[in-house]
Parts: sequence; structure tokens; C-alpha cells
Amino acid sequence: MIVDITSRPDNQSKPRGSDYQHIRNLDALIDQLSNCITLSEDDIERLCDQAREVVQDESNVQPVSSPVTVCGDIHGQYHDLIELFRISGPCPDTNYLFMGDYVDRGYHSVESVSLLVALKVRYPKRITILRGNHESRQITQVYGFYDECLRKYGNARVWTLFTDLFDYLPLTALIDNRIFCLHGGLSPSIDTLDHVRKVDRVHEPPHEGPMCDLLWSDPDDRYGWGISPRGAGYTFGKDISDAFNHNNGLSLIARAHQMVMDGYLWSHDRNVVTVFSAPNYCYRCGNLAAILEVDEKLNYQFIQFDPSPRTGEPTMHRRTPDYFL
Amino acid sequence: MSASHIPNLNTLRRGGGRGRFRSRGGGQPGDAGHGSHGAKDRVVQGTDNDASVSRLSAVNLGYLDDVFAPALTPPGMEVRRLPIINRGTYVRTTTIDHLVTRFLSAHPSYPKKQIISLGAGTDTRIFRLLSSPTYDASNLVYHEIDFSVNTSAKIKLIRAAPLIQRVLSSSSGDVEISPTNDALHSPSYHLHPLDLRSLPTSPVLPGLDPTLPTLLLSECCLVYLTPGEASSVVRHFTETIFPATTPVGLVLYEPIRPDDAFGRTMVANLATRGIQLQTLQEYASLEAQRRRLRELGLDRGQAAADVDFIWDRWVNEREKERVAGLEMLDEMEEWRLLARHYCVAWGWRDTPGGVFEGWREMEGQEE
Repeated sequence: MIVDITSRPDNQSKPRGSDYQHIRNLDALIDQLSNCITLSEDDIERLCDQAREVVQDESNVQPVSSPVTVCGDIHGQYHDLIELFRISGPCPDTNYLFMGDYVDRGYHSVESVSLLVALKVRYPKRITILRGNHESRQITQVYGFYDECLRKYGNARVWTLFTDLFDYLPLTALIDNRIFCLHGGLSPSIDTLDHVRKVDRVHEPPHEGPMCDLLWSDPDDRYGWGISPRGAGYTFGKDISDAFNHNNGLSLIARAHQMVMDGYLWSHDRNVVTVFSAPNYCYRCGNLAAILEVDEKLNYQFIQFDPSPRTGEPTMHRRTPDYFL
Repeated sequence: MSASHIPNLNTLRRGGGRGRFRSRGGGQPGDAGHGSHGAKDRVVQGTDNDASVSRLSAVNLGYLDDVFAPALTPPGMEVRRLPIINRGTYVRTTTIDHLVTRFLSAHPSYPKKQIISLGAGTDTRIFRLLSSPTYDASNLVYHEIDFSVNTSAKIKLIRAAPLIQRVLSSSSGDVEISPTNDALHSPSYHLHPLDLRSLPTSPVLPGLDPTLPTLLLSECCLVYLTPGEASSVVRHFTETIFPATTPVGLVLYEPIRPDDAFGRTMVANLATRGIQLQTLQEYASLEAQRRRLRELGLDRGQAAADVDFIWDRWVNEREKERVAGLEMLDEMEEWRLLARHYCVAWGWRDTPGGVFEGWREMEGQEE
């Protein structure tokens, strides 16, 4: 990886020798994670501390510059995450914006989120990681991340460290003031980006209210606001996204959250696009994944991809998903 | 926030609505089915574990009400299933409960009725019926057929469960277990150790009454046989054993739609476990299932619906709210995909106005 000292935050406050050591340590961790080897608890603790310092200063509407590759849900599908980096280029050669849901469901939530957090600490200006509805203490206890931490570390400390970090992740990002990116969707409590900026985000997502909606809502064919079948957030119609984009000078809302068979799906006459980056989601859905590459002129193209071949992966990692038998 | 301070997910949902309405059904079925030769059979026999573990998960979380589920799940196998699996287990069980209840409650003047559950595994339905406060089980003869290895496992679990023994002896009278410990007979309940493929050459099942209106039930059972074997099993009853005047209904629960991306992945995933769904291609759609029922001579009516449709149309809003309040089900898209790949199909032969006519009111799905 290319050493990028200029992009370290507060690097003036640390002596250069320590900085150098810091980067070497980070690169070693990233190498380790690139081979799908879990970090030690102590490494995770240091990493989460450093990551918190980086992301706590980021805005609820974190500004991001093009060009950037926008990615949807990963859900612990580590090998597919590596495939994603292979397709769009390694970080920091390519800038990345991830729209949440790194953990749960897949077999490698720990490795996937560790890698993304390590990259964030190492290249804070090159990669943006938003919060998804699965970056939550409550949800991770049902959908697998908690159990995976217990299984891989024998205790819940790593889960606690990561879920404490998740509280600080930004909720949305804004590419060149034109493309609004977030995990879920819009909220009836939010009309402007300034409303988003004022949300107090540093806590477990509540089960209603603006923060919840940003992480949980979905676009819908019906007009206006609807009750979400997920039990949290809302559905919002084309009239809502029309008004939001117009009032905020936006050309597009890019969001994730919903598995779509082609990996991406336009809605609301191209006001909104869904990007989902976990191919064959849960090893069961048979869907393609996609990423959205945005260039300097805000032209975009979608790149679809299949599950990565898992050569040499132990069979224990390939336990078949549940069916009704 | 530490792990010990985590709020119960049940309290998360807007609208609440949990716990006030009891599920209409309970328990959930076992599966599998037949003989004991070869590795493939052992794989099929093992599918019953999937079913019983899923059933217990759904019961523990409040989806289903079934006091027999813990006793009939092999020890040490308790696992919390994902919300979509729990919801699917709920729909499967309650749907079959509806069809069974319609049949049993029709024409109370009919002295007795019979149910034959194919590849029943550790299914609890008979015990729920025997202990039902609203149904007089002395009018019921219930047969379960499964591989000997599965029936002996079930008998072992029954022997270790005083609750089930009490239900059996109080409602069903004398209970006899074979010296080989793989067959059980009582006035209301028979457990037959038998490979379904050998049914056509086997003696008539003890306790079987060919004149009683009979419901045949296959919960993910016939799907493991070849299409020819599966038809032979049904025809053995409808044509060989029962006179043409005996009303017969068949309820099938099985996967469908193997040819889209989800279906292909399902077939491939199950193949890695050695599970072959042998009739799936033959009966790949709801229409194919209805045609199958017609061709089996169940000519008074045939209907089918996928689990997504049934959740949508059969479950009333109050009950939906209760079930949806049990767990946060985030994976709506995955739920719809999964639920569209399982169906319930029902067909019957009967005289006009007979015991199965109530099934006509159960809403099927056009395709």
C-alpha cells in the first residue's frame, strides 16, 4: 500500500517517528486482514480508539469529493469485499464511500468490519464509512455479529468495542454537494441537509425519529409517507424525493439497505438509486452485487459482480443457509 | 451500553401488539422420510432435525404455541433461527393447521376421520390435537409413517417425555410399543416404521381404516422421492387401499420455482448437503402442483398458494401485528424471495357437500 502521511489527521501533534511506527503498525494490520486473519483483541481496541478519534469529528453529512466508488451492504461477506476492492481498485488508489451494514449475516463480519475500520484509520480522507441499521447493538444480537464475536474471541469484548465505535459513525455523506448518500432513506422529520447536520447521532439508534429513519427507510412506488413493513423507518414516495432533492440542490440520493437482484435499482424516475454490494446475499439469494463509480464530472456507472470464487476456503465457512425441510 | 443492558428487541417495534393474541396453531412438523438404505436416505432422515430445531425456535420466540416442541427436539440442538426462518415456520405450521382444522371440524356427524402424515419425523401435530380442549380426539385416527430410524428416535423421545405419555394414555387409551421399539399403536395414534417406497409391497398398515375420510399430509416429504415414487405413494392409498367412495384430501408443503436465481441457489446449496429435491422440477409451479393433484384423481378441487401469498392473505392484520412484533424482521426482500419458493397445495375427492368442501373457501393463488 502507498504510504499517505499527508492525509493523517492531527499528524502535527505527534512526533514523526511515532507516526511512522503508527503507519507501519496499521499496514501490518491491514496486511493481516487482507489474508482474512482476525486481529487480536488488543489490536481491535487500539484500532477502535483511533477510529473513534477520526470519525467523531466527521459531520452527520460528511462531505466527500469525486471521484469515488459508492458501495452498499457488505454483511460480513469478506471474500466478496476483497473482490470489490479488486474490481474498483485498492484503497487508497480508489476513493471509497461505504453506506453501512458491514456486519451480520455473513460468516466474516469481524474480518470485514476490522478491515474497513483499519482502512479508515490508515486513509481517513480516502474512505468514508457510514452507519447502517446493522451497526447497532440490538440488531447485531439477532443477526449474527454478536455470536460471531463470541465464537471467534470467546467473549463479547470485541463486539462491545465495535458497537461502541458504531455510535460515532456518520449517518450520511454528500458527494460534491450533489449526491446524497445514506444507508436507508428519508425521514418525515427531515426536510433539509441542515436538519440532518443537527441530529445528535452518538448513541444506539432509537427505534423511531429522524436518526432511525435515515438508517431504515425505503423508497416506495406509492406517494407520500407510508408505514414500513420492517417495523422501523418509513416508506417514501416519488413526491418526497422530488421535493427533498429540489430543496437541497441534489441530483441523486444513493442508498443501500435493500437486496436487489441486479445489485442496483433505480427508483422515483432516477431520484433514488439502491446499491447493494453483497452478491448471493446470505449465500442464498442468488443476486448480483453492484458498486457505483462516480467520476470527477459526476458521471456514474454501475459495475455488477458475482460472488467471488472461494478457493481454499475451509468448508466450515460454507455451511449451507437454512431452508424449510 | 454493555450486553446486559440491551433492551429486548420485542419492545423495539412501533405499535407493539405482542402477546395478546395467541397463535392459532402450534407446533410444527417434522419431515423426511423413507427406508434406511444408503447415505442419501440418511441425509433425508436428517432433514427432520432442521424442522424440529426450526419449530422449537419459533415456539421459544412466541410465534407458535406448542408445549410438545421441547420434548420432541433432540437434546442439545436448540438454536435461535433467523427471523425469516421463524416466520416461514409459523406460516407453514399455521397453514397446515387451518387445513387440518377445516377437515376435522367439517360434518361432526361423521363418526370418525383419519390423517396419514407421510415422513412425519418428530412432528407434534398429533399431540396438539389429542390435548386440544376444543377437539374430541376420540374421533380421530392419526397415522405417521417414517423410516424406522426416525420412528424409533421419536419413540425414544416420547418415552423420555411424561407430558406426551400423559396425553397419549389419557386421550388415546392403551399404548403399545413394538419389541423392536420402532412402532407404536394406540386407538388414536399409530407410528409406522416404513420406507414409503416399499409401501406398495407392504401389508396394510395396522389400524388403517380404508373407509374413513382421510387426509394425506406431506410436509416436505414426497419431494425427496422420484416423481414416480411420489405418485405411487399417493395412489397406493387413493387407488389400492381405499375404495373410490372414500373421501381423500392431500396437503403438500414443498419448495417450488427452482429456475430463478434464488431457486437455482437453493438447489445448489442443498446439493452440497446431499439433499436432492427430486420432484421439484416436475412440480415447479403452482399450476404444476394443481395439475399434479388433478392427475392423482383428487378431482373435486385443487388449489395452491406460496408462503408469501399466504402470509399476505391468510393472516389477519391483528395476527400479523402480533407476529411482526415478536422480532424485528429487517430482511423484507429476502423474506419475500424465500417465501415465494415454498408452497402449500391442497386437493381432494369427495361427494358434493362432503367433508373436504370447507377447503374450497381457503384462498388459493392464481399464477
